[in-house]
Amino acid sequence: MAAITVNGAQREVQSPVDTPLLYVLRNELDVTSPQFGCGLAQCGACSVLLDGREVRACVTPVSMALGKEVTTIEGLPARWARQKKLPPAEAEKTLHPVQTAWIEEQTPLCGFCQNGMMIKATELLEKTPSPTDAEIKAAFTTSGPSAHLCRCGSYAAILEAVRLASALMMKSGNT
Amino acid sequence: MRPVSEVIDIHGAQLSRRGFLAGGGALVVALEVLPDGAQAAAPNTTLNPAMLSSWIEIGADNTVLIRTGKSDFGQGSIYTAYRQIVAEELDIPFEAITRVVSADTDRTPDGGGTFGFLGDVNGNGMPNLRKVAAYARQALLELAAQRLGVARDQLSVADGVVSGGGKRIRYGELVKDQNLKLTIPIRGQIEGFMGLAVEGNPPMKPVASYKVIGKSFKNSAIVSKVTAKELWVTNVKLPGMLHARMVHPATLGSTLVSVGAFDKAKFPNTQVIVKGNLVGVVAPDEWEAIQAARQVAAATKWSDWKGLPGQANLFRHLRSEADWKSARVNKGAANKGDAASAMAAAAKKFSASYELPYMKHAPIGPTMALADVQPDGMVTVHTHTQNAQQLRVQIALMLGITADKVIVRTYAGAGHYGRSNGGNAGGEDEAVILSKELGRPVRVQWMRADDMQWSTQSPAAYSDIRIGLDAGGRIAAYQANHHMPAGQDDRPIGAVLAGLPTQRPPGDKDRPASGNTLYDEWVYDGILNSEERGHSTWQIGQLDSPLAAGLRDHAMRTPGQYQQNFPRELALSEAAALAGADAIQFRIDHAKEERLKSVLARLRQESGWETRPAPNPRAASAGEMRGQGVSVMLRSGTYWACACQIAVTPATGALAVEKITVVVEPGIVVNPQQLKRQVEGGILMGVSEALYEEVAFDESGVTARDWQSYPILKMADMPEVKVVLVHRPEVGSYGGGSEAANALASPAIAAALFDATGKPVRRLPLRPSYVKGLLQA
Repeated sequence: MAAITVNGAQREVQSPVDTPLLYVLRNELDVTSPQFGCGLAQCGACSVLLDGREVRACVTPVSMALGKEVTTIEGLPARWARQKKLPPAEAEKTLHPVQTAWIEEQTPLCGFCQNGMMIKATELLEKTPSPTDAEIKAAFTTSGPSAHLCRCGSYAAILEAVRLASALMMKSGNT
Repeated sequence: MRPVSEVIDIHGAQLSRRGFLAGGGALVVALEVLPDGAQAAAPNTTLNPAMLSSWIEIGADNTVLIRTGKSDFGQGSIYTAYRQIVAEELDIPFEAITRVVSADTDRTPDGGGTFGFLGDVNGNGMPNLRKVAAYARQALLELAAQRLGVARDQLSVADGVVSGGGKRIRYGELVKDQNLKLTIPIRGQIEGFMGLAVEGNPPMKPVASYKVIGKSFKNSAIVSKVTAKELWVTNVKLPGMLHARMVHPATLGSTLVSVGAFDKAKFPNTQVIVKGNLVGVVAPDEWEAIQAARQVAAATKWSDWKGLPGQANLFRHLRSEADWKSARVNKGAANKGDAASAMAAAAKKFSASYELPYMKHAPIGPTMALADVQPDGMVTVHTHTQNAQQLRVQIALMLGITADKVIVRTYAGAGHYGRSNGGNAGGEDEAVILSKELGRPVRVQWMRADDMQWSTQSPAAYSDIRIGLDAGGRIAAYQANHHMPAGQDDRPIGAVLAGLPTQRPPGDKDRPASGNTLYDEWVYDGILNSEERGHSTWQIGQLDSPLAAGLRDHAMRTPGQYQQNFPRELALSEAAALAGADAIQFRIDHAKEERLKSVLARLRQESGWETRPAPNPRAASAGEMRGQGVSVMLRSGTYWACACQIAVTPATGALAVEKITVVVEPGIVVNPQQLKRQVEGGILMGVSEALYEEVAFDESGVTARDWQSYPILKMADMPEVKVVLVHRPEVGSYGGGSEAANALASPAIAAALFDATGKPVRRLPLRPSYVKGLLQA
């Protein structure tokens, strides 16, 4: 039986190890934020972080995640709390700055793609804390297997939310 | 308890007190038919009458619940604007509305589609909940007057507290321990396309005293989505649920020859269900269902069919083969003067024909539904629909049962921009058929290719426009003939494939539906002679396909108006050039409506517009040609104007949209931040449509199957977007804001391409190959 780490917890997996991670997360482990968008790694709705790198869960067999850490947006607050060494009481009520920014900027429209957008933003800001607009656009367009697609056209809102998330993260780093 | 003690007339509504409750109590704003009212609901409704009657509940604890038949497709309106409107009319804080119940057929009162949130198509700013809240406020004032012994005209309300004569009482105390019922007049059919409408004219709060409307309250659904707390439709699970994948026919006219086998050793729990031409592959494990369905699909044999003209011949087919004569020709309501004579006498004439391709709604998540058909015949469908009551009727019709046996529950899902405004989006009927067959809940998830190839699309269209200028360069005559196949096929495709009953396709064998009305509201009142006509025909392939399928069409964001506004606005820009006039000033000079002139004048200030005639007199520099374009629209009570700046690289034909400015004037702006986000999204969807979108199809069906064969806008290619919201409270109503923006981008970008190159643009999309061809022409 295989085991993977999801959002900080060790999870046993019954599904065959060639099953794409997306179906294991959603159906077996009840981690439902990654969404099925295309099954072809063409849109980014299913994105998760695998050891901090954005991958498409719809084409990533669970075998590729063995011994690695999977992070979804359910796990973003804990990831941030761990990175900032927040005391448990504070960690409990703290969202990841990417989530805070997404709410503050009212970024999602239908919101179906936004799981992947927030995962991509987290990956970007962990490596590049203060990205330029060009770097943000490149991250969402050319850095992965495909561009992250939003049919509702929330790209302008995403750009503003990433800028805000960056500012929030920089601010917390200085305190 | 005591019997009914009194009935009080409240501006045509009736307030009754039906005894006291032991505890709690609420003012239930009820949906009931007054003696002269219309039918409230079909007699076979499943709605619990007690719940049916509730639009608004004011609790003894001062919290408020609202219900609406509309759902949320990313507009946010039911969580923001509706709360604001109800809070405003009731004089309660926005935060007091703690629950919003939407679009479940058994838990909401009015039905209708998820469109026109802020009122009817005329943008009258009168959604049902506004009137209901206004009635409720009057009823509460009446109750307070009695309780406090103070005349009604001495009472005022703030933050849910009624005061007057030195006394005060909270709404919650007024309704505590009372069984109060307010009966309000309504008309319409809950299961009709438009649902029910609240009647009467209860006094509305004066706009000048608005406190809640006009502020940027946040959308509560965004918090739950961003924090992974939202119950998306994709996340709904039922005990014993099976996963299904469909094996759809090889073409849009194929019938089943033989079903392919699958490897039972490899897929031990898989079943294949066949009903007519409907083939479903079902397994308890989703990944098993996907893999088995691939194997079955590869080995399934279908008859061949080649009944479509193919993409390359689309407009030849529409112009010379399609029947435009059998359907009634629609005439514009604003037609006036004698356009033919004025055209004949014109000093200069312009004539052009414009073509728009089929486009896909292309939701980012393919359609999905979970159906549960119980042994007693009750059917529950869990899905994401814009018109739950219509879907309910469609499912009942398909199964030959009454609608009271069907419940539709609606959850958050991927927006699909109008595809389900008549009920189904695809998959719901298939899930029901499979669940009925298997006696277990079945979850049908379309794959990306199913969604591209088996969903409806926005219809292709072409328009012939003629404009005559007088010697002074003013438009003396305007003539438009808009041609578009039927645009609203609401048949569930699974039912069609299975040979089960559905509503009729648009039109019948002898006569196409006359669906192409004049959608684009006429705004150039300064033109003395204008004549617009709308021509209709059958959907392509509809009559020829053995499945009666063909290229099925459906309303898509700004439906019909997109297809008519693009040619009108692009032609206006070209006519301005012919007149040697600036395109913004030319529009102002042909408008009478002050609101339209104002948005155009504001656009000129805000957009960096160069006032001059097109084409751009400056020669290309550094290998780039630059241009600007403008477009306007009136939709649902809102005036829109849009300008863009583009750059064209002649060597490659690449068109870059650098900046788009939109001025939006809906009268009252209900929620600035939400409206801004809606407009930005609409504009970027419009840039996508203008630059990339066109459904590829051959003689058999749609050949687009993924995001490579149906590309949409990516973030790196987005322009700078500037949204200017114009709040004009004196207009007194709030117009819509979720549509129009996507349609504005296309004619502005096309006009900018004309400005940059001097070459007339005649179609969409403006892909590099087309732009290069234009430059070489």
